[in-house]
Amino acid sequence: MTPIERHCGWLLHAYPAWYRRDRAAEMVGTLLESSPPGAKWPSFRDARALVTGGLRVRGWTWLLAMLWVVIGAGGAVYATVAFSHPGYGQGDVFRPMFQWPGEPMVVITVGITAQVVWMLLPVPVMVAGFIRLRGWRRRNWLRATGWAGSWVGGLALMITAGEWANAGMYDNRGVLRIGEMAVCAAWLILGVVMTWILGAAPVPRARSVPDNTVTGE
Amino acid sequence: MREPTYFVLASLLDGPLHGYAIIQRAEHLSGGQVRLATGTLYTALDRLTADGFVELVREEIVNGRARRSYGLTPSGSGALRTEASRMADASRLVTNRSHRLKTAGRAGEASPA
Repeated sequence: MTPIERHCGWLLHAYPAWYRRDRAAEMVGTLLESSPPGAKWPSFRDARALVTGGLRVRGWTWLLAMLWVVIGAGGAVYATVAFSHPGYGQGDVFRPMFQWPGEPMVVITVGITAQVVWMLLPVPVMVAGFIRLRGWRRRNWLRATGWAGSWVGGLALMITAGEWANAGMYDNRGVLRIGEMAVCAAWLILGVVMTWILGAAPVPRARSVPDNTVTGE
Repeated sequence: MREPTYFVLASLLDGPLHGYAIIQRAEHLSGGQVRLATGTLYTALDRLTADGFVELVREEIVNGRARRSYGLTPSGSGALRTEASRMADASRLVTNRSHRLKTAGRAGEASPA
């Protein structure tokens, strides 16, 4: 396998597995033909189009779910940093926010925004997932149940993070907490599970390949 | 209809083509204005296939890889001709008016008040 084939394969991971199974070989062939001889990477235009095309195929449900997961995981890392500062919980800007004395206002603003988005996301994530998985159809009950279970798991992680924030609000711990990193890992695992549940094609692709497959050079 | 979509359909007017040939043909037909990236092409082909404008007509194995050729459906051909007609009407709207303005300008110069 040439370097450009390998790099094209990496970029094609922007697409879901069901799409890659159907199209990856064909797309790699087209990418190789459209790249100059000896190139090790596809052009920037091609790389950007692959990533945006892949995200488009994955759809809004996946993007919303991943936003929820990434903010959750990022929040856990942020909490670990916040808890490692002596005087955590003594900040006076926004009480419900993890923060430490002297924290830059821009970080607090980004954190508050992310926190608001994170708290609002569960409802659209739940609804979008249910619609995407056609949860009202009886034959989809297994995937819909998996989705609901993941959603409950995400809420449990949110509640855990909230409880830790409250517990540390008037505490001067000043130590690095391992628990927050465990929460971060749990969010990432949740992301993998949600991606796997959403991994199947949303609608069976009505593509018919005529039985005239031939071999050429 | 967006310009890349229009040229993807137009590139298939003369018969089925595979992915890279569509990219080349669209660039040629548009005078180099439409340079489709591979991801953009397949996004367009997915949408056009789902809309019934394009269909898979042949699959070959070339150098160990699948190479699929796509062709226009009657519905796609109709949509392309409708779009071409719409653009021609829109173009005439401007070119006719420009012509009238030029004519009026020349008449004004010929007979000053």
